Amino acid sequence: MLLSLLSFLALSGPPTPKYQADAIAPALRENAHAVVRAYDEVVTVKSASQVIKTVHRVVTVLDEAGSDDYGQLAVPYDALSRINYLRGAVYDAQGHLLHQLRAAEVHDQGLGSEGGSFMTDLRMRYVDLRQPATPYTVELDYEVASENTLFYPDWQPQHSENVSLEGATLQVTTPTALPLRFEEQLLPAGAAIAPVVAGNQTTYRWQLPASAAMEEEPLAPPLDELLPAVHLAPATFEVQGHAGSLASWQSLGQWTYQLGKGRDVLPPALTATMAQLMITYPDPRARARKVYELLQSSTRYISVQLGLGGWQTAPASSVATGGYGDCKALSNYTCALLKAAGLPAYMALVGAGADHADVRSSFPSSQFNHAILCLPLAARGATPADTVWLECTSQTTAFGYMGSFTGNRHALLLTPEGGRLVATPRYGAQANRQQRRTDLWLAADGSAKATVRTHRLGLAQDRYAQLLHEADAEEQKKYVSNRLHLSHFTVTSLRLTSAPVATPQALPGVLETLGLDLPGLATPAGRRLLLEPNLLGHLAALPAQVGPRQAPLALPPASLSQDTVRLHLPAGFKVENLPQPVELTSPYGVYVSRYVALPDGTLQYVRQLELRRPKSATLPPSIYTDYLSFRRKIGQADNAQLVLIKTDA
Amino acid sequence: MTGLPSLVWGQGKVPPPIKFGQPDAKDFEAKSFEADSGATAVVLCDYGVSQFSSTAGKMTITTERTTRLKILKKAGYEYATVEVPLYHQEERAERLNNLHGFTYLPGADGKITKIKLEAGGSFEEKRSNNLTVRKFTMPNVQEGAVVEYSYVVTSTFFDNYQDWTFQHDIPTRWSEYRTSIPQVYQYKILYQGYVPLTTNEVGTGSVNLLLARHVSDGAGPGAGMEVGTTSLTMSTEQHRWVIRDVPAFREEPYSTTRSDYLARMTFELAGIQMPNEKYQDLTDSWPKKNKVLMDSEIFGKAFLDSKFLASAMKPLIAQYPNEAARAAAVRELVLKAVKYDGTNRYWASGPLKRSYELHRGNSADVNLLLIAALREAGLAVVPVLLSTRSHGGVSEQYPLMEQFNYVVALVALPDNKELLLDATEPLLPCGLLPTRCLNKIGHTVPETGEGRWVSLVPSQRYSHYQEVSLTLDAEGNLSGQVHEEHGGYAGLEAREKLQELGEKKYVSQLAAAHPGWEVPSYTFKGLTEVEQSLGLNYELRQAASTAGTAQELYVALLEPFGERQNPFRHAERNYPVDIGMFQQEVIRVTLKLPPGYTAELPKPATLALPSNGGRYMFAATSPTPGTVQLLSRLNLDKPVYTANEYAALRELYRQMLAKQAEALVIKKSG
Repeated sequence: MLLSLLSFLALSGPPTPKYQADAIAPALRENAHAVVRAYDEVVTVKSASQVIKTVHRVVTVLDEAGSDDYGQLAVPYDALSRINYLRGAVYDAQGHLLHQLRAAEVHDQGLGSEGGSFMTDLRMRYVDLRQPATPYTVELDYEVASENTLFYPDWQPQHSENVSLEGATLQVTTPTALPLRFEEQLLPAGAAIAPVVAGNQTTYRWQLPASAAMEEEPLAPPLDELLPAVHLAPATFEVQGHAGSLASWQSLGQWTYQLGKGRDVLPPALTATMAQLMITYPDPRARARKVYELLQSSTRYISVQLGLGGWQTAPASSVATGGYGDCKALSNYTCALLKAAGLPAYMALVGAGADHADVRSSFPSSQFNHAILCLPLAARGATPADTVWLECTSQTTAFGYMGSFTGNRHALLLTPEGGRLVATPRYGAQANRQQRRTDLWLAADGSAKATVRTHRLGLAQDRYAQLLHEADAEEQKKYVSNRLHLSHFTVTSLRLTSAPVATPQALPGVLETLGLDLPGLATPAGRRLLLEPNLLGHLAALPAQVGPRQAPLALPPASLSQDTVRLHLPAGFKVENLPQPVELTSPYGVYVSRYVALPDGTLQYVRQLELRRPKSATLPPSIYTDYLSFRRKIGQADNAQLVLIKTDA
Repeated sequence: MTGLPSLVWGQGKVPPPIKFGQPDAKDFEAKSFEADSGATAVVLCDYGVSQFSSTAGKMTITTERTTRLKILKKAGYEYATVEVPLYHQEERAERLNNLHGFTYLPGADGKITKIKLEAGGSFEEKRSNNLTVRKFTMPNVQEGAVVEYSYVVTSTFFDNYQDWTFQHDIPTRWSEYRTSIPQVYQYKILYQGYVPLTTNEVGTGSVNLLLARHVSDGAGPGAGMEVGTTSLTMSTEQHRWVIRDVPAFREEPYSTTRSDYLARMTFELAGIQMPNEKYQDLTDSWPKKNKVLMDSEIFGKAFLDSKFLASAMKPLIAQYPNEAARAAAVRELVLKAVKYDGTNRYWASGPLKRSYELHRGNSADVNLLLIAALREAGLAVVPVLLSTRSHGGVSEQYPLMEQFNYVVALVALPDNKELLLDATEPLLPCGLLPTRCLNKIGHTVPETGEGRWVSLVPSQRYSHYQEVSLTLDAEGNLSGQVHEEHGGYAGLEAREKLQELGEKKYVSQLAAAHPGWEVPSYTFKGLTEVEQSLGLNYELRQAASTAGTAQELYVALLEPFGERQNPFRHAERNYPVDIGMFQQEVIRVTLKLPPGYTAELPKPATLALPSNGGRYMFAATSPTPGTVQLLSRLNLDKPVYTANEYAALRELYRQMLAKQAEALVIKKSG
């Protein structure tokens, strides 16, 4: 026995070098901080309630900038999943083993308060194999077993900038009785290999060839939408004994609906109070508004997500008792309140966040992270039918408003008949507007005082509504000061208030009144003063394009911004030279700036910029040059100076 | 301590400032909070009592805390959720018990509804190996609610007595902390903050403890076994500190860390005098602290065992007879051998040989290895303990070890010069400490003796130099060359940015910050030679955008190369501006005028900060006919400016920006 072991060692000799950095093709080094040498993922569906993911990942870190992202790894897990193993090794540039990861070097950490949650069961294991000398190669192997089959793993070996890929594979084995559903994203030809059936198992395979590193470009969709991926989902699944189907949006909605069924029972006294509202508020919209006010004044968002609680709502009674809940619990509670007030509403799942991608509607799967409410209002007399959407986790959001967090995307409506994808409200340029009126009193030494009144509506008010409701006066002043692009100023006064709402359907607005002291605003040049009358209306410059544009152009939501600056000239000065008026029209928007001398001796500068977003989600890369030139012309006009001269009197 | 405590005997008679379960009727009246219109919530009373007691025959520290808050606005709801970190290490653990809480809601009829904190509102999370977090959230929180909670933390970490923070992000009406410590335990107590103590009393009392008796340790069966209990009565030192009306704390830019500014009380165990035992002196002097450190396996003993580095050091000794050069070469070797993992410690995580072989470690693994290597290379080196900026300032009054979290090397050179060395940042030249270390002072740990305080203010400053040569044509178009040098900490900043962005994006961002700029070509210099400043040369073109006529052109030449915005945006300042280093910013622009044009030279200016804090200089000359040269130089000569100096600093920047924005008036001659 001993002898055979020794002879084995003798035969094997020193280990052959692995993953030499020299072997990387020059094209893959271009623009790359790291090269993914291999990303081999094996997904094994054990049963309707268990799926196992095994990953073999090898990355060569080429320089220090790639070290933090690829020399370390964090693997998350939670109450419904476990990490079976996590192994690793690191090799030097020549491919010689530097170090084999030891169990004691795998750290475990709770993430219970992650993402603003109060309590979750999310945890992670992480390893750090970063090296002082680059290049080096990190090889990692890990396996995660999950009992939450609502989610299957995804596969996207290359998903961020400055990282190239040498090659990757995906293999999924599933009982033939539990068919796999998948959606391929931007795969090159030949990536998919025909499935193989062996016994009662079916195996699917994909592979990706080498791919050069990409760079993020301004106003582009996120890179993970531009790179190849395979999205996986089950046809049928079972979580904690709750079986469901992902065959359609209808069936996913059905499963979620069933999970929450019977959890909408309110304390009898509360039900009675709600029923009373039917008498005091006969108009359904007014009644719904009253219910929403009650919700906002008596509850708050506290997220507790434990086990199935990540998908199943807490009972409405618990919100009634404690006055708090997560998005599901608060939506479910509001739904119960509305029902008791004779207003049947539906819960809806949504992918929330200003940067969250819209649902891939062709691929029914759990793509959501938030719950909201949808209340259909039937036509009533002269009032046409309408749909009111409610965000139930905010104590301050205006009734019926869906801002950048949940608006302009698709949500999955949960009805007794199952799920249905519907669009949340999308607001146009007129709805998302900012109107500003500035009075600027200039002194002969170039200093000035200004009063600025800004009215923001719709998406333009989102941040300011948050500031108004969630920050105290000092924090508001700090926030506003940090965003003023002025050389030197002192904020002498600041007031934020909610704008009065003209009609019940009108979007919310925020009024800001700002007082500014601006020493040295105008630049003296001999007998003259030079001044940029466009005090605050600048559009941030875009970085110059280096090389051809690769990515499509994704424009921000449509908006309208109007600035009127009234310039009160110092005594003894007159206008010597005014910039030319500018009018720019393009498919991306319209820009106007002009100057008018008013009879009272003041000078009025007007700037209006309407930014449009075309119907299609993105524009082709070739458009970018044209778009850039539109933006550059705006930049020039925005920075135009006027010249005042001392009159001889 | 601020001032001497007043001696009060029998202070136990002072009633507690709060009775749990009995809120004050005034807490529900709107007029009580008129002065707090800006606040989202107010701490009405925060009361802590920390004392020694015995549980199950063991001595413990018991800290009872009772807190009552008024919620004024929805934005203040977050203060109704509480997280209490609880540490544990081997058998020792902090535990939280007796958690109680109520939410009081005033009704329209003036009646107060009292809602109890139920078990379902409380959770425990195992955050890491040594840390558990107990969290709870109060029920039915609404605007106008008063919430109140109380809990007890027991601890056997006698070396980590419960600190107390009097100040919060919201105003605090009353914060009181009482301690009762048997005179067997001696603590150094340190108060810091920008708010004076309202009450500072000390007195004596006594405590009765039931402690388990053990058969004395040693060989033989039954050693350490419990053999009944002893009742001990000990005299105690009692403190009572109160601060009334503590303002809300606001973080400010150019600061170190919030704990440096908050009003708080900290404790460090200085010694133990058990009855019938020898006094254990733990902290009382630097010589003793130094000895403890030098005897430690993870500090002194770790770096004294440097033989494993002998073969690596031998060639360096031969190659670099000059000691400064040798020190630099040793640092270079350690930089390349070990990667700093981002964790700051002054003690090693294990044997240095292991970190050396693993190629990775915390700041002490790296820098103790550096110290070991410097010793092995025949250099005179001592460790210097310091506290990083995010860890907070150190007090020179007491040798409090918990103040420190980092160690660097101090090398004595033959010419009486000294060199502070750190091997965690590859992008820094030798002799510069990472910016996280620029925290005023550190303390040496010699093999014997007292050691001394060492200034951490770096000799090299943040230095940015721009040499610009431009030509103006009669249409107002500008073109020319720019040469930039980023020296010292500016070099680090530029190299970090360059590493992150790459050359192309770096230059593209530079150009984008200036409307109308085009940068057709560029070259970087000294990219890898971190000992030198980082150079950047670029070609610049700017199409005419200046207002004016062909007769007169107005060009703000310095502005595009300056900061363009005053970094000190806020008019008020409560705490010092702590930059940690000196700074210099120089811009020299030479402009060639279009033929037949002349320029009016702007007036020179010199501005100085009080008490040699820094200066700004501007000069305009015409070295040859048809050319104009502008020079702008800013020097900031203090690493830290007090809040009183803030206004002058902000004004200096304002005047500099105004000077840089001034337009040069260029006229057609004749």
